Amino acid sequence: MSSLKTQYTDLKASFATASPDLKKCGTLLSQLKLGLIQAGLLLPQGDLNANDLVVAREILEIGAFWSIRTQDVPSFDRYFSQLQTFYTDYAHLPPSQHEYPIRGLHLIRLLTQNRIADFHTALESLGAAAADSPYIAHPVNLERWLMEGSYAKVWGARAEAPAAEYGYFVDSLMGTIRNEIASCEETAYESLPLKDAATLLFFTSQSELLVFAQARGWQVNLTAGSITFAKKGEETMDIPKERIIASSLLYARELEQIV
Amino acid sequence: MPDVEMKPADKKEEKKDDKKTVKEEETPKPPPTPNQEIKSNIVLIERAVATLEPRFAHRVLRTLTSLRKRLDDTVLRKAVEEAYVKDSPTKQSLLSWLPAAQSTDTMEVDSAAQASAPAAAAAPEPVPEVDMYLRLLMIHHLDASPSTYGKAIELSQQTVEKMQALNRRSMDPIAAKVWYALERAYELGSQLAEARPLFLAAQRTASLRHDDETQASLINRLLRSYLEYSLYDQADKLVSKTVFPASAGNPQWARYHYYLGRIKAVQLNYSAARENLQHAIRRAPAAKLAPGFYQAVHKLFVVVELLMGDIPDRGLFRHPVLEKALIAYFEIVKAVRTGSLAQFQTTLAKHAGQFEADRTFTLIARLRQNVIKTGIRRLSLSYSRISLRDICVKLHLDSEEDAEYIVGKAIRDKIIDATIVHERGWMECGGQKGGYGPEIGDAFSKRIGYCLQLHNESVKAMRYPLNAHRKELAAAEGAREREKELAKEIQEGDLDDDELGGGGEF
Repeated sequence: MSSLKTQYTDLKASFATASPDLKKCGTLLSQLKLGLIQAGLLLPQGDLNANDLVVAREILEIGAFWSIRTQDVPSFDRYFSQLQTFYTDYAHLPPSQHEYPIRGLHLIRLLTQNRIADFHTALESLGAAAADSPYIAHPVNLERWLMEGSYAKVWGARAEAPAAEYGYFVDSLMGTIRNEIASCEETAYESLPLKDAATLLFFTSQSELLVFAQARGWQVNLTAGSITFAKKGEETMDIPKERIIASSLLYARELEQIV
Repeated sequence: MPDVEMKPADKKEEKKDDKKTVKEEETPKPPPTPNQEIKSNIVLIERAVATLEPRFAHRVLRTLTSLRKRLDDTVLRKAVEEAYVKDSPTKQSLLSWLPAAQSTDTMEVDSAAQASAPAAAAAPEPVPEVDMYLRLLMIHHLDASPSTYGKAIELSQQTVEKMQALNRRSMDPIAAKVWYALERAYELGSQLAEARPLFLAAQRTASLRHDDETQASLINRLLRSYLEYSLYDQADKLVSKTVFPASAGNPQWARYHYYLGRIKAVQLNYSAARENLQHAIRRAPAAKLAPGFYQAVHKLFVVVELLMGDIPDRGLFRHPVLEKALIAYFEIVKAVRTGSLAQFQTTLAKHAGQFEADRTFTLIARLRQNVIKTGIRRLSLSYSRISLRDICVKLHLDSEEDAEYIVGKAIRDKIIDATIVHERGWMECGGQKGGYGPEIGDAFSKRIGYCLQLHNESVKAMRYPLNAHRKELAAAEGAREREKELAKEIQEGDLDDDELGGGGEF
């Protein structure tokens, strides 16, 4: 336990510095987690000393932040699910100041994966007070703008991230948004000038746009400076014969049962 | 063994009470006092145990709601005294939960009990189900006032323990209700989370014993406790891991559908949520009997309809039970219908408190995009060409740039049929499609499917009492007999051959 304590203070001190040594933190974290397992604190059950639980929680929180900084998303997911035990089942502990940032990060992570249903489920389980926290409000706004289609606002919100760790997810969010916008443009426009397409997709240089256009299979006319979108299949209406036959047979069978 | 011995006595009593109930039916004008009602209910319970027909027990439990409002200490004490003529440990333990009555009271009760004692001296100890029923009444009584919540929890705990130790199938209908009372006690004492392990353990046992009613009741208890603490994940897992017994009663089904609807709505699965809520509304007791449930379901239903892009019927908001409760929702509906973002925001802010209390706030906040979508759709219907600037002004959007993205998204999501001409900055709306195509067939097949399901379910719900067909058989036998006689008469008489042949065929 005493070695745990020194490791814990060590980790806290080294993570709090302006540019923490991530590698060292990683090794410390894995040692600490071993210690936590031995103390039965990693997945706590029953009544345990509140102070121990707070320390365990803090270690896991640092671990979650550390995972983001090392861009290890699966590891963040693991830390987050371990932390959930502390946040929901041990709600009597003094509230952690890192809880909302971590929950907010989790929400953004769900957004980047387009797991909107999970996003709302997670949001619903937060209390009403959580919505006032800037850490939660940020992903909530992002989601709203995404759903509306106000992509420009999402783009503009990049700089407003309440914590440095959000930046990592926001970048990958931009990839998602670009694809969304592109799919909208494909259906909404017949053709689009190259310059406008670049601004709509938030590209700064034409070469980036050209690479992107190639990946989506757009027809780029460089001399006229425009993109034409191939209309996908001029709505050939097919009569679903098989389905109609199947349902008619079903009705016949059911009617026979009734009569 | 004791069950077998009890039966003859029970039957005698039954006959007596049949007469009694007949008498009561003859003079229905004065409503029965709570005590009379409890007494007749006890008889019904005994009959249910004796005939192994849960139907009688259900009849008893149906009166529970009206009965529990009229309970008080003296009524309960008297009921216990009447049910247990002789002194027994059960009686003692039952009475210990009631506050000691005033001395004059007990004297009266005692003398009354003694007076009736010789008459019913031979009456055996009532079945344990009666004990449970009385305990159930007591828990409900203790639930009624905040000062006795602690006691209610204690009593319900003890009752559940006893119930599990007895492990009698004939007790199942009552057991289901006891669980409900237990939950109520815990909830009122705001310790609902602590009851969860209890429910989970009991649910496992109930499903092992194929105790459908308790299982249904417990699943609902668990869902309620999860949703109370907004643990939608856990609730969803519970739903996916358990099978809700098909034979459960309508009230349980209604609750279950409501909880499912809530989970599905949170998960953005609106069409499934709407289906569940519709089932909940159909299965719910009449609006006047259970207005609370009716209103709660409708509140959620309105929100889900809106989220699906539909506008609920206006008649819904004129329903006498719903009118007042749904005022805030009605205003939201109006805002969504006109597609006015400003009106929507002010309404949302105005009624935020109520929505928070109803736990629909986050769902309603999601409606913002629907408001915009409706607005765009209205515009696309009324204009064949409209500039993005005008869209921006009409929908109170922040910038033209936003408007372009939003319209683009609406086109992609097939909300409107249009194209954007970027160079000129306007939206061109395509002609409306005729309303014919495979989707019409889909809509019809959905409705037909529903009707067929309803029919099949009502066929399944019909009750066939045991041995009832014997009577019919006997009647058929008689008819055949008569037929034979007729044939004989015909044969003996001077009749045509044709008629004879017709009669003989049967």
